[in-house]
Amino acid sequence: MSSPAIAVEGLAAGYGATAVLEDVTFTAMGGQSICVLGPNGGGKTTLFRALLGELEPLAGRVAVSGRPAYMAQTERTRLDFPVTALDVAVMGTLADGRWWLPARRLDRDAALAALERVGLAEHAGVRFGELSGGQRQRALLARALVQDAQVLLLDEPLSGVDPASATLIAGVFDELREDGRTLLVASHDVESARSFDSVLCLNRRQVGFGAPAATLDRATLQATYGHELIVLEGGAGAVTVQHHEHGHHD
Amino acid sequence: MEAIDFVLDPLRSGIDRRALVELALVGSLCGALGFWVLTERLAYGAESLSHGLLPGLVLAALAGAPLLLGAAGGALVAAALIAFAARDTRMGPDAGTAVAVTGLVGLGALLALAPDSPQRLEELLFGDPLGVTGGDLVAAAVLALCGGGALAALHRPLAALAFDPAGAAAAGLRPARLRAALLVLLAAAVAVAVQGLGALLVLAVLVAPPVAVRGHARTPARAMLGGGAVAVAAAVVGMEVSFHAHSAAGASVALALCAAAALGALLRPWRRAARRGARPRPLRREPTSQGL
Amino acid sequence: MDLAELPFLREALFELVLLAIAGGTLGAWVVLRRLAFFSHAAGSATFPGLVIADASGVSPVLAGLAVALGYAGGVERAGRGGRDHSEGTALLLVAALAAGVILASDVFESGAAVDRLLFGTLLGLGAADLAVSAAVAVIAVVAAVALGRTWSAIGFDPDGARALGLPAGRADLVLLGLVAVAAVAAIPAVGALLVTAVYVLPAAAARLLTTSIRGLVACALALALGEGLVGLYLAYWLDLPPGPPVAALGASVCLATAALTRRAAT
Repeated sequence: MSSPAIAVEGLAAGYGATAVLEDVTFTAMGGQSICVLGPNGGGKTTLFRALLGELEPLAGRVAVSGRPAYMAQTERTRLDFPVTALDVAVMGTLADGRWWLPARRLDRDAALAALERVGLAEHAGVRFGELSGGQRQRALLARALVQDAQVLLLDEPLSGVDPASATLIAGVFDELREDGRTLLVASHDVESARSFDSVLCLNRRQVGFGAPAATLDRATLQATYGHELIVLEGGAGAVTVQHHEHGHHD
Repeated sequence: MEAIDFVLDPLRSGIDRRALVELALVGSLCGALGFWVLTERLAYGAESLSHGLLPGLVLAALAGAPLLLGAAGGALVAAALIAFAARDTRMGPDAGTAVAVTGLVGLGALLALAPDSPQRLEELLFGDPLGVTGGDLVAAAVLALCGGGALAALHRPLAALAFDPAGAAAAGLRPARLRAALLVLLAAAVAVAVQGLGALLVLAVLVAPPVAVRGHARTPARAMLGGGAVAVAAAVVGMEVSFHAHSAAGASVALALCAAAALGALLRPWRRAARRGARPRPLRREPTSQGL
Repeated sequence: MDLAELPFLREALFELVLLAIAGGTLGAWVVLRRLAFFSHAAGSATFPGLVIADASGVSPVLAGLAVALGYAGGVERAGRGGRDHSEGTALLLVAALAAGVILASDVFESGAAVDRLLFGTLLGLGAADLAVSAAVAVIAVVAAVALGRTWSAIGFDPDGARALGLPAGRADLVLLGLVAVAAVAAIPAVGALLVTAVYVLPAAAARLLTTSIRGLVACALALALGEGLVGLYLAYWLDLPPGPPVAALGASVCLATAALTRRAAT
């Protein structure tokens, strides 16, 4: 595949007339994985919305091959909703554009296959709210898989997930990349970002983009995270980031 | 002299004078209390409580007992039922509250409209200031005095609680007790006020005055005093209109209160522009928006 | 005594059956999408408009529809701002009720209309009311079938629903508009204060008894039908407007179910 799966040039996006994200330029080819790093409010979700076509760019261009599939964080879902894991996976088939028709046999089969892939086949009939955190993430991943998209946008897919689920999910990511799909993963985990093909650092504007080894230097991280950055003394000078929900800025 | 006569005529009639005094007493307390109803987001709860006490009112009316008793009892039952229903997380608090309130209103109407009952339903729903008795006046005076005293004593702790709940708790204030005291005062205010304004309209005297002064008053104390003043003024205007236009008294006062709220809200942008930079201290920290 | 034998009760019977259909289908969504207060407010806000229509001979159907759609549109627009408008809404409803009662008792001197408009009527239901309820029932079923998947996706995960390319804003607008119109359609039978007896109480009880959306709709329909019919009988027997007995019955069923199932956890 010679043309990039994602091509973004000089993107500025925001809500209303003001841009909350500026100066974003990067490309991604099929089979690549990009980790999007940045503080809350830094523009990760804004970028995703622009890639999904929900936001018109205020400046610059966005080109994505096909409609991306989006995997949300489970905190944003309603746990008391009477839907099963299968129902959630079937929701993915709404993306085919015929939302006014009931779900077909075809859709159910595709959803079951996706649940199989994430190891939730036996839990297909369990209510979403009764699943564990890791299982819920996997169900949301299944919903994204059903869309069979070239590009997947994943919002902190591994946060708060138990190790077993995390391994499963990471395995599916590898399968997707081998299949030539492109993954954009928003994350707070700087260390794990080093295993991606590229990293994109955002803090209201693009701070850096490129291979992790070259891009994740002290200066870039400082510019990205500011005072949220914690540097652990150690041989490799590992860095990590405070999660906003763990409270006070000291 | 005609204009003055026009205004003073209602006061010559004993009935109207008593009604006005009662509404003024109730209004002054509720207008002040309303500031905390708004701050603590109790408007919906107050509305549910006032609608839900209807069966209590009806039973008191049927038994010939004082309405205040019925209102108080009805409020207790309503509070318990609403608390029970709203707690159910599967229905959700909004549906649960609706179940309790609709059921109670239906029950109240059922009891009131059963054929051999006296048809007082409309007065119980929309108020009957002209039917105020000496006992009601005493109750209103007690409410204004004791409630006013309580608000005066508690307004600083309440403000601290509203501004920074965690800090207040750490500083030794007891949030649960303060809130409980507020709720008790609210229930008492509703029970007394419902005679004049009715179960359906009494919310206006609690919510309209603080809405009217919101953005115009810089401190809680000023907001409370302003609210009380607005309520009294609206009561006067409402009674005047009712007297001269022969419209239902309770409903007229309720409309006057709502008009005051609308006026206060409309005048807010001008007030803000006039202040030019000196921002009023926010009473409650706005939650920061979720990171995007 | 067989209710169906009494011809003047036939209208009431049909009306309650039609309302039960809407109450079951839409009621499920009212409860799932947290629209209980909205449905109540739509009914109450229409009260003054109906008083005017009643007195001036304007078709109450048109007046009701106009207010309902206006209210729905206003709520949707206000909701987009993100700020809490509950106080404004509460005052709006008080003003509507106060204005209505003044119009009815002092301007138009149609005092008797107040009880009828607030609590419903057993014998005063006409062909127009039935026609509106029938239309609402049909539209409700069609909309629920066509938009149910979308409403469910939005309720479960609004961000994800938009990401799927669903017309979330428009689908919700349809839902709000439909609920508002349906609330107004129920006013002749159960009254402006008690429309939740049709659209919330049966569905709330059903919510406690079922675990899927399909089950919720079916159970809500059954309960709405049962409560409506028993309430109708009680209204006839006790010589009352239908609203209060249906409401008291619906609340008792729901609260009893809540006490018996007693699950505080999700």
